[in-house]
Amino acid sequence: MIEYLELTIKNLTYRKMRTFLTLLGIVIGITAIVALVSIGAGMTKSVNAQFDRLGADKIFVASMVAGGGSGEGLRDKDLRRIEKLPGVKAVIPVVTLIAGSEFKGEEKALPITGVPAKEAEKVFSDAQAFRILNGRWIVSGDRKKATIGYNIYNDFYRVKVSVGDKIEIQGNEIEVIGIFADTGDNNQNSRIFMDFDYLREIMNKGDEITSMVVRLDDVSKAEAVSIRIKEALEKNHDTSSFVVLTSEQLVKQITDSFKVIQVVFGGIAAVSLIVGGVGIANTMIMNVLERTKEIGIMKATGARGSHILKMIVVESGIIGLIGGSIGIVIGYLISLGINIAAERFLGANVLTTAVTPALAGFALSFSFVVGIISGVYPAYRASKLDPVVALRS
Amino acid sequence: MTLLKLENVYKTYHMGKVSVPVLKNINLEIKKGEYVSIMGPSGSGKSTMMNLIGALDRPSKGRILLNGTDISKLSDDRLATLRQKMVGFVFQQFNLIPRLTTLENVELPMWFAGLPKRARAKRARDLLIQVGLGDRLTHKSTELSGGQMQRVAIARALANKPEIILADEPTGNLDSKSGAEIARMLDRLNDEGKTIIIVTHDPTLAKIARRIISLKDGEIVDDRIS
Repeated sequence: MIEYLELTIKNLTYRKMRTFLTLLGIVIGITAIVALVSIGAGMTKSVNAQFDRLGADKIFVASMVAGGGSGEGLRDKDLRRIEKLPGVKAVIPVVTLIAGSEFKGEEKALPITGVPAKEAEKVFSDAQAFRILNGRWIVSGDRKKATIGYNIYNDFYRVKVSVGDKIEIQGNEIEVIGIFADTGDNNQNSRIFMDFDYLREIMNKGDEITSMVVRLDDVSKAEAVSIRIKEALEKNHDTSSFVVLTSEQLVKQITDSFKVIQVVFGGIAAVSLIVGGVGIANTMIMNVLERTKEIGIMKATGARGSHILKMIVVESGIIGLIGGSIGIVIGYLISLGINIAAERFLGANVLTTAVTPALAGFALSFSFVVGIISGVYPAYRASKLDPVVALRS
Repeated sequence: MTLLKLENVYKTYHMGKVSVPVLKNINLEIKKGEYVSIMGPSGSGKSTMMNLIGALDRPSKGRILLNGTDISKLSDDRLATLRQKMVGFVFQQFNLIPRLTTLENVELPMWFAGLPKRARAKRARDLLIQVGLGDRLTHKSTELSGGQMQRVAIARALANKPEIILADEPTGNLDSKSGAEIARMLDRLNDEGKTIIIVTHDPTLAKIARRIISLKDGEIVDDRIS
């Protein structure tokens, strides 16, 4: 076997440009596979992590009026209707909005989430990402108070916000009583959390609700309860004006869209690999033609068909293997680059791609197999060459 | 002891619907240790004869016995194995593999024969020293003169200790000095007991053999001891 490898290395280094161009096809294919699969896996992983944070015992009801749906938005009466449904343990209303704010003379539009103060900690500490960095959660009775996201504290305003500072919203002074640690989610980091009722009051929102978190008695009934909620809301709402999703559906919706992306990317990668394989086959046919006389010499000096066959197949397999190795390295670098970019622009732990040993192993064996398959036909042709004819060429 | 026997051998090439008879009713016997040249003008069928004797090809009709084995019935692989053991080729064009060093070129037939690396490296080195190229072991063939390349080819032909050295115009591409050197080398190999068969159109080279077989239009027209 070592002899075949030695011979292969000599042959590949003899025609460097040709070898390089042949390798390129496989390199591109494997790079695409490695990079895309690692990104796909990273996306799925981060969604699953978020799912774990949400918890499976919840259903989300959101108004879609602002998001393009038609009809009336969600109101308090909808909340009361859902509270009465069997299987529902509690309903926590949420209002999200953007309001004008002023802090130390600087005016900025500030995203705000309103949750009932007495429920706030319970709702959001379930989602493990929310940890207090400094101060405390808003609790029952905390009307003109807010707990703020990490980015609001850190760099939202020109001046850092500290516990005890006051932010002015709609002419009301709101006292900062707590700061959350970095959740890894820029959207969550860049908002403040206040009491639901007080926020509606100062923003003149009446009995509007943006969304609701429905807690369940029994996780296994999530699907059935979500259908009940839908039916209840359909009585006085357009079906397009709201959406009801269990945690599982929420995650599935996101991962499904990832799957489509992965299939499309995978298809592109597969096509480029096929093209790479055809490139190897083409090169090997050219090599065989060019080396016809050599093959004749080898046969005259005692080579059997199987020697020639192995020689060509090993050579094309090695092309695949080298191309695959380079592809894995480049794919890994791309995946690394995406991690760095994701951390920089999306925040820490949002998207962590990973080239696992299994992925690398798969890519390597796949490129080897593509190489071997591409070499079989040229090798067969070479092994069947008539030595008399080959020597004369 | 008869090493090679051709019995009523015919070789006909078919080009489309036309049949071209190249060898007609050849009968020939060569004994172990003989020094034979097969001579004839181009088109006389001597190359075809060389291919048959060297087990590169099979006859259309008749039998060829190489060391008692009838090659006309053998599969490609059996033929290859027989060549490996019985015949060492020396070509006019030297036919070395340019990417390989002289040592590797000489090792090649031994690799095909399944000899372990260490053994074949040692034998290749010994053979190259024997042909006077002990200082050219790691040179590529492109760095050698014609005479040197032909000496490498002779060393390669000897690698698997074949019974027969089959040389096709071995001095055809060499100057007279190198040609004479190769001729002396073949002479010496014959003295050591190897059977040498030279195929040539050159009467001067043919004369160095002890027996000269003349071919014309695919038939043996003369067979004499010189």
